[in-house]
Amino acid sequence: MMLTASQFMFYFFALAIVIFSILTVTSQRILRAATYLLFVLISTAGIYFLLNYQFLAAVQITLYAGGIVVLIIFSILLTSHVGVKFDMVGWKKRLATGIAVAIGAILVITTILQYQFEASTEAARAVEMRWIGLSLLSYEKEGFVLPFEVISILLLASMIGAIIIARKEEKNESNN
Amino acid sequence: MDGNMLVTMFLVAFVLVGGALVFSHFIAPKSVNYQKFEPYECGIPTKGVSWLQFNVGYYLFAILFLVFDVETVFIYPWAVVMKEVGLVGYIEILIFFVILVLGLLYAWKKKALTWA
Repeated sequence: MMLTASQFMFYFFALAIVIFSILTVTSQRILRAATYLLFVLISTAGIYFLLNYQFLAAVQITLYAGGIVVLIIFSILLTSHVGVKFDMVGWKKRLATGIAVAIGAILVITTILQYQFEASTEAARAVEMRWIGLSLLSYEKEGFVLPFEVISILLLASMIGAIIIARKEEKNESNN
Repeated sequence: MDGNMLVTMFLVAFVLVGGALVFSHFIAPKSVNYQKFEPYECGIPTKGVSWLQFNVGYYLFAILFLVFDVETVFIYPWAVVMKEVGLVGYIEILIFFVILVLGLLYAWKKKALTWA
């Protein structure tokens, strides 16, 4: 069987996602787990590129690989257990995790198998930047201007929250 | 770009980088001794781990960075259609921008931007 180029890329990224996801949850060093997570996120961006979702892929790289992972790493470095090598979990936890994963996997697989995937009659439409911009700013029926403005309030809230938490900690330090 | 071309370039990059690493691993001279992995070759041997708890200020900067990262992502689609949406789009993005600038002013006022 000969793979086409896009199939090859898909399997490459899919394999990378699976391997690095497993490494993320099985790594005993928390900082390494964060680094493996970075590779998972970048491989997901690769899948988005493959689907021609350029904007989503760029967002994935700038926000998740660039922003969230940095945030995760800084929050790990804020804890006092950074260099600790965690013990492997006991068999009870492994059993419980195995059952939970099996139930989740069965649920997802049966849902996918029961769904009738029908090829759309419409031609594949590339998601253009112009179209994203227009629907983001449109206030008509299928526009997203309200969520767009609400996002800014959410960002404001997160920013103020982070400042308050960080400042409070410093005040505690000076009291001590 | 043609798909096959992309895969070929991808594989060539992979093989070149991986090959250089593997090749240098095999041909490089090896010297393994106890001192090699010490932070200082001479002096007092280090004790304990070199990990230390970070200042919370780093976290603050990371989250401020992330907020303006998100802002950039949302401003880009507007910039593409700037001429088409005209004044209405401009006012919409201005509201978005002003709300975020309030956050920046708050950070400034609370002296979160100065390095403690």
